[in-house]
Amino acid sequence: MKEKVTDLKGALRLLRPGDKLALGGVGRNRAPMALVREIIREEIGDLHLIGREKGMDFDLLIGAGLVRKVSAAYVGLEEFGFASNFRRAAERGEIEVEEHTCGTVISALRAGAMGLPFLPMKGVFGSDLMKIHDDFKEISCPFTGERLLAVQAIVPDVAVIHAQRADRYGNVQLKGSLFEDVIMIRAARRRIVTVEEIIPHEEIKARPEETTIPYFLVDAVVEVPRGAHPTSCYLCYGSDRDHMAEYAGMSRTPEGFREYLERYVLSVKDHGEYLRRVGGD
Amino acid sequence: MTEYSIAELMAVCLSREIGDGEVVLQGLYSPLPMLACLLAKKTHAPGAVYINVSDSIDSDPDYLPFSSADPKLHKGAVGIIPLCETFDLAQQGRLDLIFLGAAQIDQYGNTNLSVIGDYHRPKVRLPGGAASSFLCAVARRTVIWVTRHSPRVFVERVDFITGQGFLDGPGRREELGLPGEGPKRVVTNLGVFGFDEETKRMKIESLHPGVSLEQVRENTSFELIVPEEVPLTSPPTEEQLELVRRMDPYGVREIEFRK
Repeated sequence: MKEKVTDLKGALRLLRPGDKLALGGVGRNRAPMALVREIIREEIGDLHLIGREKGMDFDLLIGAGLVRKVSAAYVGLEEFGFASNFRRAAERGEIEVEEHTCGTVISALRAGAMGLPFLPMKGVFGSDLMKIHDDFKEISCPFTGERLLAVQAIVPDVAVIHAQRADRYGNVQLKGSLFEDVIMIRAARRRIVTVEEIIPHEEIKARPEETTIPYFLVDAVVEVPRGAHPTSCYLCYGSDRDHMAEYAGMSRTPEGFREYLERYVLSVKDHGEYLRRVGGD
Repeated sequence: MTEYSIAELMAVCLSREIGDGEVVLQGLYSPLPMLACLLAKKTHAPGAVYINVSDSIDSDPDYLPFSSADPKLHKGAVGIIPLCETFDLAQQGRLDLIFLGAAQIDQYGNTNLSVIGDYHRPKVRLPGGAASSFLCAVARRTVIWVTRHSPRVFVERVDFITGQGFLDGPGRREELGLPGEGPKRVVTNLGVFGFDEETKRMKIESLHPGVSLEQVRENTSFELIVPEEVPLTSPPTEEQLELVRRMDPYGVREIEFRK
């Protein structure tokens, strides 16, 4: 087995400008935030972001000017309201928004993971999403004639997820809600897993039933404790509501957002320094 | 009678929509439906299967979390299944009820959570419809909640159909082969609304205590069907209120009413 451990910079050698990038987690839970901040420091742009229901991770990348297109069913900050950069960029026509519904993101990624060009599904007809998608086509069931929706596969160039634990070869123990994390890893061409903790290989072998993603589906493993901050990571920490509120407030204006970016991303050398800046342990 | 807030009344109204033994799903950023599901399970619908967007089944959290995908909802749950599996069940016709929000809603119960104005150059880009376009089609029925009943929300025609109501009227859902029955109820800060069997147009079912018919008409940009005698929404029981307050000590239910 090949060792996959690297740092955030090293992992980002897998990401190129223009890539389709899928990010794990949902809302403000288990988003790969440390890696997102590193993408901004490295200025890897022209990205096409893919996810189900996303928040601050997408909003940061959009605000940093690194995003060309967004495919998602929701981009917002839940009780803190709009994801302001997403909203501004969409209203100014600076990004293309391909609004999905949760079920179609899942079908598209599942098709990618299954090695199929599309998946049939029910629903969506009658909704105006049908008018904005070239990748949704009406088909009829070859057996019954039933009207079905064909959703074209999404094959991300890179998928990034944040998990609780992995060994140095990339055997991942993902706990709690999986969201679409395992599906997007299986669908993607290149796969990065950031983790709270790298554990000895022997611990993986002692409990193989806990491995949710095996090593041969992972290209890079990065240990970043509190790497989902300010989003939550099940069994490790909750979401940091104070920080989320600070972000929501500052990002309401472009100037405020630049200040946030400078304070918490650009002037910060690495993840360790970020953690010292946001406080806590 | 104990005083109660509109949020508390709405949570109780939403919980009344849940039948015992039904399979119910509640989505992201849905504090009132989350509370309604927890309440229903502790009162009239202990046999309801409650699934939320943290992927937990039958959550029994210590307190209502702010994020409805929060892992705090794993507390007390019997299991965790990925959303894609819940959606598989929905396609089989095994999801009875989904709660969804709306930034705009029209007389046929079509909802918009996507954009105000033109899709490609929107006046307001909203966060997006989450599961609406899929679940409004396949879930057996949809219940919509609106915390600010106003003419800008209750519109003649939605700018974008995110969630399918009865589309342009009777028969259209059937033509398109949508398996779900469509919107069943709309619960707002002013009252509870349903849909006329024949015309599929929105009708008043009850108005909350203190709300006048005139007030509802002023805040609705289309003509509502009004019954000859407009019932009053039943207030929460002491037991329901006590449970709501115990389950939500931090007042997450009030957030949308504070701004």
